[in-house]
Amino acid sequence: MVCVSVSKHALAKRIGLPTIFGGFFSLGITSFGGGTAGWLYQQIVQRRRWIDDPAFLSAVGLSRIMPGSSGVNLTVQIGQLLRGGVGALVAVVALLAGPLAIVVALSVGYAKLAGIDAVHAVLDGVAAAAIGLTFATGLRLIPRASPNAGSVAVTLATVLCVGVLRWPMLPVLIFLAPLSIGLALVQRRP
Amino acid sequence: MHDELGRTLVALCLVFVPLSLLSIGGGAAILADIEHQAVTVQGWTTQREFADLFAISRAAPGPGTMLSALIGWKVAGWAGAVTATLALYAPSSLLAYGASRLWGRWRGSSWHAAVERGLAPIAVGLVLSGGLAVLQVAPGGPVLWAAAIAATAVLLRWPQVNALALLVAGGALFGLAGALGLW
Repeated sequence: MVCVSVSKHALAKRIGLPTIFGGFFSLGITSFGGGTAGWLYQQIVQRRRWIDDPAFLSAVGLSRIMPGSSGVNLTVQIGQLLRGGVGALVAVVALLAGPLAIVVALSVGYAKLAGIDAVHAVLDGVAAAAIGLTFATGLRLIPRASPNAGSVAVTLATVLCVGVLRWPMLPVLIFLAPLSIGLALVQRRP
Repeated sequence: MHDELGRTLVALCLVFVPLSLLSIGGGAAILADIEHQAVTVQGWTTQREFADLFAISRAAPGPGTMLSALIGWKVAGWAGAVTATLALYAPSSLLAYGASRLWGRWRGSSWHAAVERGLAPIAVGLVLSGGLAVLQVAPGGPVLWAAAIAATAVLLRWPQVNALALLVAGGALFGLAGALGLW
């Protein structure tokens, strides 16, 4: 049964722990090619609708600034939104359990597979689709995240500095974040 | 024998716990340190073995790097794999949990809303940058770029399409081309 949370902020639906485990376990074993944020957006936000776009966006921002894998950080935060500390723990364990088993199984079988060219080609195809998923997620969120010219410029600057020029993320954030927050404040009170 | 295993598990923790808290920007930020520790300092793997483990970790599903799990597995079996995974992910996860709770507590204040609206365009930029970063390190050149753009277009046009099906299609297409010698 799913009903809307009555806690102080109704950001997330109230989801049972076994359902959370199932959702994040299937996310873990299907999110090939990295870019967990994209997979999470499709499976947890778009398909299951456990949290909404603004909650997802807020969690993405925090997940990238904090140390650690952004996918794991994102999962911690969404688990926390759904069911507090227990929710976060269940979500992370579920997310990591499958890939841990798979990676060990792969390392056992790797010696046999490494010599086959087709294996590498298949991995390239998987990577291409996974990259597409990441791009689609970012592009789909632009209208909500960057609703005006100033915020679109911030998004473009971030992509240019971090994505194209490969500058280290932290200094870029230290410069852009206050600028962007200032813009948000100004636009609130014209 | 038990002491030996215990010492190895403690060594795994001592290597991966600090790295967990240093990995701002994700697993890629600490890759060089993991390599240095595993190969040079601890002697857990040879250079060649490390490269193989890295390739395997890239092929597996899941978030970030499962490289630590593989190193743990190599030196101490399942106990090592689980220990290394916990050591790498628990400290940063606790930090993220604390930050998330703190952040939620301030929800509703006007400055919280401004910070959230200010960070949103950067967050989207970072998601797109993540895709670009993978594209640049992935071997494959223009064909891979074209395939990634095609996948993007499909997902934008049909958001409900199962991404896993797209993945299988991508893998099958490239695999077929590879088998025919086109790729």
